[in-house]
Amino acid sequence: MHSAAELAWLIPLFPLLGAVVVGLGLISFNRRINQVRKPVAISLVSCIGISAIFSYAVLWEQLRGVPPVEHLFVWASAGNFTIPMGYVVDPLGAVMLALVTTIALLVMIYSHGYMAHDKGYVRFFTYLALFSSSMLGLIVSPNLLEIYVFWELVGMCSYLLVGFWYDRDGAAHAAQKAFVVNRVGDFGLLLGILGLFWATGSFDFNGIALGLSEAVDIGAVPGWAALTLCLLVFMGPMAKSAQFPLHVWLPDAMEGPTPISALIHAATMVAAGVFLVARLEPLYSHFPVVGLVIAVVGTITCFLGASIALTQMDLKKGLAYSTVSQLGYMMLAMGCGAPVAGMFHLVTHAFFKAMMFLGSGSVIHAMEAVVGHEPILAQDMRLMGGLRKKMPITAITFFVGCIAISGVPPLAGFWSKDEILGQAFNTYPILWLVGLLTAGLTAFYMFRLYFLTFEGSFRGNDENLQKQLLADAGKEIEDEEHHSAGTLHESPWSMTSPLIVLAVPSVLIGLLGVPWNSKFSFLLNPVEAIEAAEKFHFGEFLTLAGASVAISFTGIIIAVMAYGLNRIDLKKLFAERFPSINSFLSNKWYLDDINEKIFVKGSRRLAREVLEVDAKVVDGVVNLTGLLTLGSGEGLKYFETGRAQFYALVVFAGVIALVALFGVLGPT
Amino acid sequence: MDANLLLTSASQSSFPWLSLIVLLPSLGALVLAVLPENEEKNPNLSRNFALTFLLSDFLLMLAVFGRLFKNHQEGLQLIERYNWVPSIGLEWSLGADGISTPLVILSGLITLLAAAASWKLKSKTKLYFALLLVQASAQALVFLSQDFLLFFLAWELELVPVYLLIAIWGGKRRLYAATKFILYTALASLLILISGLALALSGDSFTLNLNELTNKSFNGGLSLFCYLGFLVGFGVKLPIFPLHTWLPDAHGEANAPVSMILAGVLLKMGGYALLRFNVQILPEAHMQLAPALIVIGIVNIIYGALNAFAQDNVKRRIACSSVSHMGFVLLGIGAINSLGISGAMLQMISHGLIAAAMFFITGVFYERTNTLSIPNMGGLAKVLPITFAFFLASSLASLALPGMSGFISELTVFLGVTSQENFTSVFRAITILIAAIGLVLTPIYLLSMCRRVFFGPRIPALATIEEMNPRELTIGLSLVIPTLVIGFWPRIAIDLYETSTNAIAQKLTEHSFISLTQVLPFG
Repeated sequence: MHSAAELAWLIPLFPLLGAVVVGLGLISFNRRINQVRKPVAISLVSCIGISAIFSYAVLWEQLRGVPPVEHLFVWASAGNFTIPMGYVVDPLGAVMLALVTTIALLVMIYSHGYMAHDKGYVRFFTYLALFSSSMLGLIVSPNLLEIYVFWELVGMCSYLLVGFWYDRDGAAHAAQKAFVVNRVGDFGLLLGILGLFWATGSFDFNGIALGLSEAVDIGAVPGWAALTLCLLVFMGPMAKSAQFPLHVWLPDAMEGPTPISALIHAATMVAAGVFLVARLEPLYSHFPVVGLVIAVVGTITCFLGASIALTQMDLKKGLAYSTVSQLGYMMLAMGCGAPVAGMFHLVTHAFFKAMMFLGSGSVIHAMEAVVGHEPILAQDMRLMGGLRKKMPITAITFFVGCIAISGVPPLAGFWSKDEILGQAFNTYPILWLVGLLTAGLTAFYMFRLYFLTFEGSFRGNDENLQKQLLADAGKEIEDEEHHSAGTLHESPWSMTSPLIVLAVPSVLIGLLGVPWNSKFSFLLNPVEAIEAAEKFHFGEFLTLAGASVAISFTGIIIAVMAYGLNRIDLKKLFAERFPSINSFLSNKWYLDDINEKIFVKGSRRLAREVLEVDAKVVDGVVNLTGLLTLGSGEGLKYFETGRAQFYALVVFAGVIALVALFGVLGPT
Repeated sequence: MDANLLLTSASQSSFPWLSLIVLLPSLGALVLAVLPENEEKNPNLSRNFALTFLLSDFLLMLAVFGRLFKNHQEGLQLIERYNWVPSIGLEWSLGADGISTPLVILSGLITLLAAAASWKLKSKTKLYFALLLVQASAQALVFLSQDFLLFFLAWELELVPVYLLIAIWGGKRRLYAATKFILYTALASLLILISGLALALSGDSFTLNLNELTNKSFNGGLSLFCYLGFLVGFGVKLPIFPLHTWLPDAHGEANAPVSMILAGVLLKMGGYALLRFNVQILPEAHMQLAPALIVIGIVNIIYGALNAFAQDNVKRRIACSSVSHMGFVLLGIGAINSLGISGAMLQMISHGLIAAAMFFITGVFYERTNTLSIPNMGGLAKVLPITFAFFLASSLASLALPGMSGFISELTVFLGVTSQENFTSVFRAITILIAAIGLVLTPIYLLSMCRRVFFGPRIPALATIEEMNPRELTIGLSLVIPTLVIGFWPRIAIDLYETSTNAIAQKLTEHSFISLTQVLPFG
């Protein structure tokens, strides 16, 4: 009899097989596959279902204390060098496996309703299966190189799914941006992996950690170099988990279908960065400076996300910035040397944020019946309001999510966020203060979202407002698509039932991590858990928890006053008094503009100039036509300006300098 | 080594299988030439005829290399040596080892698919397919020849069909592009010939046999001179900066099937010859100049990528991306260890498949839209979703996505450079840093091309065009599936050449690594 962990390699394989078979079918027999969309979708869902069963079996075994399992095989080789691949199952992985399969399964059931009328229904399910497979593969990866493989694959799935509606320009740009920004992170990650391999000869997590600390101790690798390598590896998680300044892709990624925003861009893939940092804990624990950098980056991200979320009018973008902010909390925990706390927040956040995203999808689904399929209208909260009466299940579950994320005890978010803040208080008090402030902002913007969407009166039929919104977005007003025929209605059972299922852990799962008896940390790190339980003081806990509960309620009360009861007018009170701050926030700290100006335009200009050099100088010199064009008037004109000579000089000086430099530095 | 000994040794093949592989397509071309002219009556005759010959040649390759070629045996196999023109020492000498075998199979596959991709060709079909068959013979001879003069003849012979294929069936500026191609390669050939003959004549004995040349030792000045001659000569084909400018022109003007051959076969000849001549025959000079090769390699990677980003024509953009990807081959060869050389080999195989796939798909939508200008396109995915899937898949493969062959090859090259202890840490760090910037640039130019060509709202004018047909699907899958298989299980490809690349690397370690500073005057 095999133990479940021995069979863990099957977990990513089932969805992969499903995706490959259906994918090849879609390419070869497109029409026929699309005719049998339902059986195809059911079989893909079953693939994930089987993986989920295996994952729970694995988790059950880990809970019973079965030792971790690791298996390796040789994937590629050259000379006496080999690249090992394989799988590993340990408590951390088991938790993630169960989490990812659960949410993937629920999102797939939900998608059956949400994508019912979409032409790409089967393609959507195929991508979902492919994504699940890659994500599960990432979790069971035993070394950095294999992590990198799946890391890029989940990035690709994200690209495909953000650009799922490929006829929308917004989606096309967002998908490309997501991929490229993630590649920037992966660039660092790859350099880090190569560098660590150079320093330690290993890709294995523990091998790297031991090897690097030894190498630094005996002086084989200078301290600064080791530090650089650690930080380079951290670039990967920064991009994937949307940490400042590489977070810019995540809000744009909301162009994808909403189930994707829930699964990939809230619950699972974006958490992969946090997961990787947790995996690298043995390495990072040797370098306190790295911990500090991670904590600071996490705190900046956490505050940035929350502050931008304050002014968002697009429901999904609001939630996206909230995700950015919450990911910041998780990174803060990692930086404080408390991976268990970070992972715990990852788990709780996955449940309630997935629920809220699916809830927003339900809202958008309903809005589309009224305002049409233009996302600028269907997602704008200025056109919503009063939806609670029409769609009570969505509203109630969303409300549960709001109190969970705001940190109201005893819901999930309270326990996990408080754990992080407690750790930060003991490690970096200043960062704790920022985190605490952000908790207040969080409570405020979440309830702002809730009130604008579900309470008050419905504003969706306001034609003037619709026209104005379209005009602001620079879109043309299409009259024919603009017949508000439908009425608001609650979504079908396939969409509401996942919401209800997700509401249960959003309320209860926090109780697994109460600080005096944390079952969660006992699973991940029993030694630390016993220590923590022994050191636990109710007095200290109550003070810190009291502070965060108090600030949460302050945020909630302000939101209720402003948007629920309309007692205070924030526009007059704040926006008009501090217009610069307001525009700073609503322009997302101007980061997108800076990015556009420096990197996008800069790289385009550079490429154009290189091409000009290529066409006029390199080609010319090699062709010896430079001499010929000199004779003709045009060539003379070109040369008179001096640009050609200048370019030629730069190119050749550059090449010679490089050769000379490497000649001196190159061989030992 | 005594030539007679080799001739009588047991490794001499009992049946001239390699000659059959080389000559079968030529035979087809000959028969095609004497077939009666009946283009009007039966326009598809020459196409079907050529396809039959190319397919049987490809199957023959698979059978011969599958059954008779032993992966784990070092040195040449299936050797054939016959005196041809004894007065000048020319021999018909063929043999296969790990670095020629995969490339022969690759070029056989690409040529077969290129012929299948020329299905709808209408003008001068007989000449066209005859040239394809000649090209198939010449390229196999390049990879299999073990005699320098024979190699050189094949190298020159293969220029003719490619020149004509571009000059007759190309686009508007086809003559300019074809002339540029022939000028570049012909001048480069001169350097190859001089260098090769210099090596053959040096020392006490005259020999043209590559194996014997490998065992000869040359004095420093001569070997350095010949190395540079070869580098420039083969570098034009690879291509290396600054000798690459013929490539975008050739690709821009050639039709899609010829582009498939250019990218899938011709560029690989450059890499193959660098390994065969520069690395195997002149290991000492190679050890001296390896850092320079790496510098050129990273210039290729970055320069090609930036050029690609600025190109507004789909095929020219892919051509520039080839320049960038071939930089990794140089990097791998320059890393002078088994990892690096293995990576360079795999990069050639992988790029051959991927670039051919991209050019093929480009041809598919060009046949339907009649434009290659990126700014004039958009929204193609709406009407051609499957074409889009193929183009996206090959773009992703090209940008080294794991699970596709490009990833493992570029990774192996990176690891090769990283683990080369003969370079200083600073040199390795700078090399890898700059080369890795290429990994960021690749998605920028490839995905922005995908976005501008395929994404976006539908264009009404394109509403009536048809999706890929089963023939095109088969061609596409024949290129994409091997890419995926190698990406998932790279040992399928690596096993073919590993013994050979290890042996080359092993031989390099016998030569001391001499600092460039002792060689270059200004060092």
